[in-house]
Amino acid sequence: MNGERRIGMLHLAGAVAMTIFCLGPIVYMALTAMSHRPDFLAPGAGFAFTAAHFLEVLRTESLHFPEYFRNSLVVSGFSAAFSVSVAAPAAYAVTRLAIPGRVAVLFAVLAVSMFPQVSLVSYLFKLMSAMGWINTYAALVLPYTAWILPLSLWILTSYFSRVPRDIDRAALVDGCGPLEALWKVIVPVAAPGIFSTALLAFIFAFNELLFALMLTTDHRARTIPAGIALFEGLHGETPWGAVMAAATLTVVPVVALTLVFQRRIIQGLTRGAVKE
Amino acid sequence: MGEDRSFRDLLRGYSFIAPLVAILLAFVFVPVVGTCIDSLYREVTFLPRAFIGLGNYQSLASDPGFRQSLRFTVLFVLASVPLELVLGLSFALLLHRPSPARGALRACVLIPWAVPAAVSGKVFELICNFQYGLANYLVQRIGLTDGPVNWLGSTGGAFFALVAGDVWKTAPFVAILFLAGLSAIPEDLYRQAAVDRAGPVQRFARITLPLLRPVFVVALLFRTIDALRVFDLVFVLTRGGPGGSTTSLSLYGYDAFTGGDFGYGSAVSVVLFLIAFTLSVAYVRIGRFGRELS
Amino acid sequence: MRSRAFSLALCAVSAFLACVAATPPSRAGTVTFAVGGAPAEFAYWERVVRKFEGKTGIRVELLRQPTDTGLRRQGLTVPLQARISSPDVFLMDVAWLAQFAASGWLEPLSPHLGKEGCAGKEAFFLRMIDTVDTYEGGVVALPVYVDGGLLYYRKDLLGKYGLPGPPRTWDELLRYSETVQRGERRSRPGFYAFAWQGAQYEGLVCDFLEFAGPTGGFRVENGEVTVDTPQNRKALRFMRDLIGKYGVSPPNTYTEMREEEVRSFFQEGYALFERNWPYAWPLHEGRDSPVRGKTGIAALPGWSQGEGAACLGGWHAGISRFSDAKPESVKFLCYLTSYETQRDLALHLGWNPGRRDVYAAPELLAKNPHLPALRAVFENARPRPLLPYYSRLSEILQRHLSAALAGTSTPEEALSAAGREMQAVVTRYR
Repeated sequence: MNGERRIGMLHLAGAVAMTIFCLGPIVYMALTAMSHRPDFLAPGAGFAFTAAHFLEVLRTESLHFPEYFRNSLVVSGFSAAFSVSVAAPAAYAVTRLAIPGRVAVLFAVLAVSMFPQVSLVSYLFKLMSAMGWINTYAALVLPYTAWILPLSLWILTSYFSRVPRDIDRAALVDGCGPLEALWKVIVPVAAPGIFSTALLAFIFAFNELLFALMLTTDHRARTIPAGIALFEGLHGETPWGAVMAAATLTVVPVVALTLVFQRRIIQGLTRGAVKE
Repeated sequence: MGEDRSFRDLLRGYSFIAPLVAILLAFVFVPVVGTCIDSLYREVTFLPRAFIGLGNYQSLASDPGFRQSLRFTVLFVLASVPLELVLGLSFALLLHRPSPARGALRACVLIPWAVPAAVSGKVFELICNFQYGLANYLVQRIGLTDGPVNWLGSTGGAFFALVAGDVWKTAPFVAILFLAGLSAIPEDLYRQAAVDRAGPVQRFARITLPLLRPVFVVALLFRTIDALRVFDLVFVLTRGGPGGSTTSLSLYGYDAFTGGDFGYGSAVSVVLFLIAFTLSVAYVRIGRFGRELS
Repeated sequence: MRSRAFSLALCAVSAFLACVAATPPSRAGTVTFAVGGAPAEFAYWERVVRKFEGKTGIRVELLRQPTDTGLRRQGLTVPLQARISSPDVFLMDVAWLAQFAASGWLEPLSPHLGKEGCAGKEAFFLRMIDTVDTYEGGVVALPVYVDGGLLYYRKDLLGKYGLPGPPRTWDELLRYSETVQRGERRSRPGFYAFAWQGAQYEGLVCDFLEFAGPTGGFRVENGEVTVDTPQNRKALRFMRDLIGKYGVSPPNTYTEMREEEVRSFFQEGYALFERNWPYAWPLHEGRDSPVRGKTGIAALPGWSQGEGAACLGGWHAGISRFSDAKPESVKFLCYLTSYETQRDLALHLGWNPGRRDVYAAPELLAKNPHLPALRAVFENARPRPLLPYYSRLSEILQRHLSAALAGTSTPEEALSAAGREMQAVVTRYR
């Protein structure tokens, strides 16, 4: 029994350490955003609460922060929606329709997810320039949709394969076409899984940086990660209070989503990564 | 009549996959092929485009900057991936054990993963700030050093900061993978081992670790490839500095593109792509092999 | 079934088109002006823009860029390579102006100079205009503010040790440094006589060019690189010995010393001489500065009297060839380089204008009496080689110069290796 109690203590200590590790930097970020001066840890300085940095980030027009937010939400939303809509029929086909080469498709798609983004971005840049789409939402939505497709396909395949065949077989017998069966039967049953997929797709698109840096040029289409990355360069004094305020504001939606849908996200990631 | 239907079914099946394939072709395959072709050209903004065959690759081979970024990328992978795996496994073990706070703990652990790398890069940049960052505060408080450490001003310090930032952000993802693996291990095995008087360490070594092997392989390969193509963290935290010593291959290619040399940048991307592609092929092979084994 | 698939497809296409169209467009006739983002600078530009809008009724939108020069260049090369119309007017660092010009991104300005209230060439530093701002015979940019390397010195210390005035040659500088350092070390152990930028970055190349003087530096002519010359070796050896053998420059010169580090080192009173840009002057004369009233400015010394060379810096304005508001942009550019705007730039930001005539303005002379001396420096300041791929050459040179300063290679080895690598780059871009 002593061994078990010792393990219990270890577990508690470990859990505390893990929490500090995971939340520490985030808490530090929020504190700096709310602190009157960024060096509040230095001896002699103190912590004085202020909302000035948040106001500065939201109100200063030239920083364009609310616009970055809007752009991020629009681009991520569209990308997630398109990605799931395109992956769902494909997942249906892979799990239900006996077409030769479906396993190959799955593996090919998996291999695609391992391509480095930098190997795509230059040609995408040329393509988007030629179409005149640089610095428009299309420049980001299309590559993001493609980029998230492997993940969406794998997760949806995993969810769809758990939906019992009898359900849609019954629908097919009743005279439904496969597309109708997908829409009317599978989707409602697998709705939680589809939601998880869309959520993950949204988070991935929201956090992306490289494409955003090269395919957008100003606040009209730039997303938040690019905005934060370019928030004042290295020469001279970085306004840490304002930077951390921007970071905190950015983090709020994703953290909220994570906290609320924590179980779904874990389920989706697990299904997508650990193949059956 | 039957053949007709099956051909139509086949067509319909393919039509379900068609949009996916089309999008991937247009926005992934074609760009990669296009980049490979571009790498054979001298393409700079101030000169006309000219075919130079392997010229860019020859320049790469004798370019100390490229060698430096290759070296950094490999070292980065070697340093961060093992740490992530170990830390991820530890987190998974902590999260697996039933406790009232399990849901809250899982949410906590997910947060670093959910935060954009651009944001975590900025936060770590502040943590490593020479004058008033958290790192120097802690390190001096604990008494590890006499004076403040110039993290981002030295190659070693910047490397350490990058590894720390990457491990912080990705250990959760690894933890989730291991968690799924742990959940798949049947309880009976542990019960049997308890009956056999096996201690916790023995249970871990004899049951847990071997059964986690497939997950371990998945995690290892995902993380290795992700670490190879690291960009966000390096761009934000160190900008590849000091003196270009923490420039990853992705950043090196990106700098070439934004500097106006598309041919050279394409060559760098192709090299990175080949490395990642080789590893992913290896993964598929190992995956198949593993499946045959079990 | 078929109609359902068709309606689905229609949905998808229209959703996509909505997505493309949803991006907020830019207003025609608006001039977008991209500038650096340091708060004081940005506030100044906002003032300029408001005055311009009031005067002409043309709308100008300010696009705020990061302060780091590398990020600013990136923020311009991406839209220019994509040929989009925004930004219309932007500031370029002298170091990468040549690349922009050679890439065909700059609208020719010669047809507009000297007409309709726009200054003619003669109003600016001629040498600068003819070398840096001219491409293939036409002017493509105008200097908004200029920079040149200067020697700052402590008047009080020179007086204390009976030295006549600022040194005119490097040997004199060395002798003065050793004398003063010997004396000052007794009361200030951390005193190093001469602070300059030696870290591995673009500034190192500037300092090196100044040490090398007008006969040194690196040249690219007819596809041939010349950098491994006796003069350059002498300069590099001198730089290395300042840190090592003579010990008159701080040991972290080659690891950390950039503009701000050098400035605070001198400002805290730890140095006799400082090599820095003109921006440091108002800071040294600031209310809390320990060296207030004790600082003097002089031209950089040379190997023989009167042979010093200042590295030319500064930012120039150009118009994008793909701008959709060219006439308005021209008017704005002319306004930026007008006498009043340039004088205000000097008064409010303490920066040095690109127009020569402003240096004689009485209001400015009252505030900065050394302005005529500065003007002389700028007349003779030498640009870095005007090549589109200069930044690649600079990276190579930086690395080898830094290795020589650190002692990991000799000046001869460093320069010859640098020469070889630079030659490979030049050959590639021929």
